[in-house]
Amino acid sequence: MKLTELYLDEIHHHLPPKNREDILKEIRSTLLDMVEDRNPDPSQPADETTVKAVLKEFGAPREVAAQYGAKNYLIGPRMFPTYLQVLRIVLIIYAALNVLGVVVTIFSQSSIDASVFVTIAKIVGGLFSSLFTGFGIVTLSFAGIERTTPEELTIKVDQEWEPDQLLKHEDVQKVKYTELAFEITLTLVFIALINFFLDRIGIYYLGDSGWVSAPILNENFLRYVPWITAYSIFDIGLNLYLIRTGFWDKWASISKILINVFKIAVSIAIIVGPAVITVSANAWKNLGFDLDTTAQQFTRGMNIGLDIILGLRIFSLVVYSFKLIYSNFIKGRHAYFEISNR
Amino acid sequence: MKDDAVHEQTQNLVQELRRGMIVLAVLSQLDEEQYGYSLMKGLEDQGMLIDQGTLYPLLRRLEEQGLLASDWRVESSRPRRYYILNNFGKKVLVEMTTEWVRIKTTVDNLLSNEKEN
Repeated sequence: MKLTELYLDEIHHHLPPKNREDILKEIRSTLLDMVEDRNPDPSQPADETTVKAVLKEFGAPREVAAQYGAKNYLIGPRMFPTYLQVLRIVLIIYAALNVLGVVVTIFSQSSIDASVFVTIAKIVGGLFSSLFTGFGIVTLSFAGIERTTPEELTIKVDQEWEPDQLLKHEDVQKVKYTELAFEITLTLVFIALINFFLDRIGIYYLGDSGWVSAPILNENFLRYVPWITAYSIFDIGLNLYLIRTGFWDKWASISKILINVFKIAVSIAIIVGPAVITVSANAWKNLGFDLDTTAQQFTRGMNIGLDIILGLRIFSLVVYSFKLIYSNFIKGRHAYFEISNR
Repeated sequence: MKDDAVHEQTQNLVQELRRGMIVLAVLSQLDEEQYGYSLMKGLEDQGMLIDQGTLYPLLRRLEEQGLLASDWRVESSRPRRYYILNNFGKKVLVEMTTEWVRIKTTVDNLLSNEKEN
């Protein structure tokens, strides 16, 4: 009977805690029934061969336990879609923060020398380990949730599904995750740049004590920083929302249009307001261009250039917004009309 | 070789077919109380083979779903868990039997139609 007890012990390991003892009691009783039934000589206790044959027939302990609903997976089907969704977002944020780390490192060094590149190499190497960490944390959390959430509770990713949703999404753009991840990263870097390293945006030249940077954005620019930061954060928020939903819905489009209006307003303010670029005479001289222009003239040229760039940007934002309005509200309504007419 | 493939595929599909009948087969035998092994032997004797690993968890599920009642009893120095249909289970069995007859008739008809064509 030793073999039977070892077998039951093994099943015990793999059973879910609920009803464990009761299940084992029933299996034990069944095994005894089977052995008794197969025993060629009922007057004698069953021999080992009979017991082994019975256990073999009953099946591998792990498989037996699995039949009682023991979980032999880390994250089950009810959690898996949510898991993937969260994992995607977390990994993108992790990657973005790492790139941000690289940028911060570059700009917080007083002068650029070889050690910066060593640091960058380290950070890029660290990216992989931190991505693994993110992956691990998300996976373990979900494995935990999987085991602690009662079976009855299902976590639904999609709301009540209706065939109408197919029509709604039919000609709606699907989002591209790599593009969004890239955008989020760049935006984060941009926010860090204008908020903490504004003085590093400028002209770089080789001075007496290594590389020197002369900032070109003057104090007039400072007043726009909070506004630019604000719309950048909205942009990130929208991109995270898009990663979650996976496609451009009406709300995403409306938000994007509002953000664009915000951006256009700030761009116009910069164009109309006082010049934001100043090139110092010293820096200009040190650049050593053999030109007949003065620092003032160059500054004026830079500001005009910036205004032209901002003008083009406003134009492209307007076009983009109208495209969004067209594809979401005008074209969409038309499609509905066609179908309801059938 | 080809016949082997046919046979193997048939076995897979038959197993699937069988899986659908198991609940009905089990319920049909439980108007009198039985413990797991006697139930399995009884079904086997009547030509319905059920895997051990399937039967016991199934009995538990059916009890959880409120179709069966069970209790432990000590018999010949060994505790055994006896299962029996309760009132709800009896009603479910009656309805399932009706459905089964309907399905059987439909499939029979379909199969005989095929022969005629």
